[in-house]
Amino acid sequence: MMPNNFVMKIRYSNPFKKIVLLITVLLLVQCGFAHSINYALQDAPVNEVVWFYFALGFKHIIPFGIDHILFVIGLCLLSTNIKTIFWQATAFTVAHSITLALSMKNIIVAPGAVVEPIIALSIVFVAVENILLTELKPWRVLLVFLFGLIHGMGFASALNEIGLPAGKFYTSVIAFNAGVEIGQITVITAMFACIIIPLRNKTWYRAGIVYPLSALIAIVASYWSVQRIFFNG
Amino acid sequence: MKKNILYSVLIILFISLVGFVLLKFKKEDSIKANTQYVLLERNGAMAQMPEWPDTKLNASKILKAINANPGDLKSHISMANLFIMEARATGNYAYYDKAAMKYINNVLKINPQNFEALTLKSLLFLSQHHFADGLAMAEIAKNINPYNAFVYGILVDGNVEMGNYDSAVANAEKMMSIRPDLRSYARASYLREIYGDYPGAIEAMKLAVDAGAPGDEGTEWCRVQLGHLYENSGDFKSAEMHYSIALDNRKNYAYALAGMARIALSKKEYAKAIDYFQQADTLVNDFSFKEELVDVYQLTGQKEKAATTAKIVIDEMNKNATTAASDENIGHYADRELAYAYLKINDYSKALEHALAEYNRRPNNIDANETLAWVYYQKGDFAKALPYIQVALKTNSKNPVLLCRAGLIYEKTGDKVKAKDYLEQAFKSNAFIPESLKLNSEQALKGI
Repeated sequence: MMPNNFVMKIRYSNPFKKIVLLITVLLLVQCGFAHSINYALQDAPVNEVVWFYFALGFKHIIPFGIDHILFVIGLCLLSTNIKTIFWQATAFTVAHSITLALSMKNIIVAPGAVVEPIIALSIVFVAVENILLTELKPWRVLLVFLFGLIHGMGFASALNEIGLPAGKFYTSVIAFNAGVEIGQITVITAMFACIIIPLRNKTWYRAGIVYPLSALIAIVASYWSVQRIFFNG
Repeated sequence: MKKNILYSVLIILFISLVGFVLLKFKKEDSIKANTQYVLLERNGAMAQMPEWPDTKLNASKILKAINANPGDLKSHISMANLFIMEARATGNYAYYDKAAMKYINNVLKINPQNFEALTLKSLLFLSQHHFADGLAMAEIAKNINPYNAFVYGILVDGNVEMGNYDSAVANAEKMMSIRPDLRSYARASYLREIYGDYPGAIEAMKLAVDAGAPGDEGTEWCRVQLGHLYENSGDFKSAEMHYSIALDNRKNYAYALAGMARIALSKKEYAKAIDYFQQADTLVNDFSFKEELVDVYQLTGQKEKAATTAKIVIDEMNKNATTAASDENIGHYADRELAYAYLKINDYSKALEHALAEYNRRPNNIDANETLAWVYYQKGDFAKALPYIQVALKTNSKNPVLLCRAGLIYEKTGDKVKAKDYLEQAFKSNAFIPESLKLNSEQALKGI
């Protein structure tokens, strides 16, 4: 028979038993939630967590989310009317917030192999639609809402790569979402400041700005679509 | 009118393409689910291993049993077990871990509470470096059967990897009380090593070796670990002896060959070391051999070979990492290894990216902290390196490489007393330290 303390000749005091128990419980909770855990921020103060996920959400749009940037630019190109852009942006925001939270809670599970190609296709659709439509149709808002649901699942997969600190689910998801929103608002503001306000009254605005920009977005997104459908296996 | 037609075409095209994406995914998913995994033929020296004929015979028997009765859960478990052993023997984890996971999932689909399947799944998660998942699953398995030594072994490993060292010790003691055998002695040895007790670690590993049958992969793996402990204690004669015995008992055992390579390095017999590492590399698919080869190539001025080999290592590890990102079920996380590999080619930003990814997954683990500290040191961010090396030293590990790195970081951050202490500790036992690190450490010590 081996002595009880064979493993460590010197029996180390075990002051962290409660912490180990807590970690075990959290790990079991993780199985239920199925989102990955960010252990580095497990014990971090709330403000640090909020800032980390806010910055992560923002960076997921600027500079790393070129596809989302093109989608938002696409939304801005349909019309120069602020209301048109407002309704689309709101529909998109509400939709992606819903699926982001549901995906992180593992209530809906959508594989990247499905989500990523559809995100690219949604950009193509919006860009081509900009060329075909001149004003906001009710179904456009509905479509943007549906596309937003898909984009939300894309945001969720990015967030899942980093994980969430256990016990701070809502704090981190809301902070991430806020970062994404500020990123989107930044893109919309930049569009207004650089393109829409200075050029919207020009007679050549649609022919010189909307058509070529939309065509360029459609081409880039088509390339992504092909790449994501056929070469990401 | 024309625009309306075009708009209709756009909608039809979009819906068709979305449908195509969904169908393609469904088809690929069903192919994946129906993939039949078979035992792959071994080549060269691996085919001469004594257990190979039995392995082949067992595989065919189990497969027959599964085909005769697909609901025979025991056979599915046996098949998973066989693939796990084969992965270990050949180093082909990419294939066999997937194969084993398929059979385990078959069992869990029918019985989600199957203890053996949960235990093996947690083992596979650890093998693929999904440490948190592995630990969580092992906890579930332990709750189903708290009297099984094997599951405590997995809990030890999982807790060590997650940096819960006290919990690892408690589980190792429990394991030992249930079944003192090769596995529990080996874990006791590893824990003692982590806590800086080399004589104790050697003593436990000797017991592990004595508890196993000579020639078995498990026994010889322990013998190689014993050699490595001697190496880290500066007793190269004993280390060489154990590597030689492992090679006698198990011809061409890759890990023993790598041990012999390090012995050759300690004698500055670089050509011999390269030869040993190359032999080991052809036998088992383990990146660590190639990584060590990169060091020797650099040391001997073969810069082109070093760069090519480093690139192969990075490409292969990235390929596995891509699998891990696309398949939540399996896929090897190799961020710590990638961080070191990028350091070898001086790509500090990539090294930092991977070191941080590893750290974020397990911020309490001493190795993850050491890696991050070392990347910051190499980048010249000495102040940033300091808190991480402090965590890496929290168990009082006496690993000579860790001690050298700690000494160098303290030296750069101005704490000469601690720097001297750690560097002197590193050199005290005359243990094996990679040449470039040794040179830098010696210089730093002289400077102090």
